[in-house]
Amino acid sequence: MKVDGGCHCGYLTYKAEVDETVVTVCHCTDCQNLAGTAFRVTAHSFVGSFSLLTGEPKEYVKTGGSGNLRIQAFCPECGSQIYSTSVGDGPKAYNIRMGSIRQRNELAPTRQIWAQSALHWLDNLLAVPKYQGGPMKS
Amino acid sequence: MKVDGACHCGDLTYEAELNVEQVLICHCTDCQAMSATAFRVVARSKPDTLTLLTGKPSNYSKIGTSGAERVLSFCSRCGTNVFSTTVGDGPKVHSIRVGTIHQRAELLPVAQMWTRSEQPWVNSLASIPKFKEAYGPPGGIET
Repeated sequence: MKVDGGCHCGYLTYKAEVDETVVTVCHCTDCQNLAGTAFRVTAHSFVGSFSLLTGEPKEYVKTGGSGNLRIQAFCPECGSQIYSTSVGDGPKAYNIRMGSIRQRNELAPTRQIWAQSALHWLDNLLAVPKYQGGPMKS
Repeated sequence: MKVDGACHCGDLTYEAELNVEQVLICHCTDCQAMSATAFRVVARSKPDTLTLLTGKPSNYSKIGTSGAERVLSFCSRCGTNVFSTTVGDGPKVHSIRVGTIHQRAELLPVAQMWTRSEQPWVNSLASIPKFKEAYGPPGGIET
């Protein structure tokens, strides 16, 4: 599926082709921390299909649970999370952060990983009262 | 409730006292775009209780639907979204991104806001297959 997207302020824009059959919810503590929320959702691009159209992301390298280095990219202007990818040369696959994808409403997760560190209240998400609008600032 | 927290790389650290009655899930499209996931979860501090212990965040200003300006802070080195607050003088309430709070497992959301823009699948989260750790090829997949 062809997608395009960008950060909140518009500095970074990209296009890519993602595998819509594999969309991942990740409950690992690194994803919780970096995104600042309960979990991250990631769409996986086909190798070589990701193109940055505008802007230059800031890259942060972390060591994953596997011991591999991963690049985590974000917008230096607004802090929006954009993607992760491998280090080094060669064609790359990108794990694109779903909230940055313009067509995100057409994607749905197919699996949840690192469920052992999932925040426990997610099992009762439906029981948390809902409001259509916003009484309080987020 | 007293909490402390940090960004991923550790440059930014803070402590604060939370109003535990104001742990909120936000489904607004701004929160989706910046956290780049389905929704943001924030815990609101009591006024003027957030103290930055180390580091200096980058700040980004946006205009909310209400017309009010909000300052959203993140770590310039690792990009972790840490908190937002109001502009100008006066007591500051901080909306702290729960993923940065060390005690986040003890916090329970009390309300979900802006559900008119929620991702449709979040109500079916329980039915999405779960794996305790990573899943896929040897070494797992990396997010």
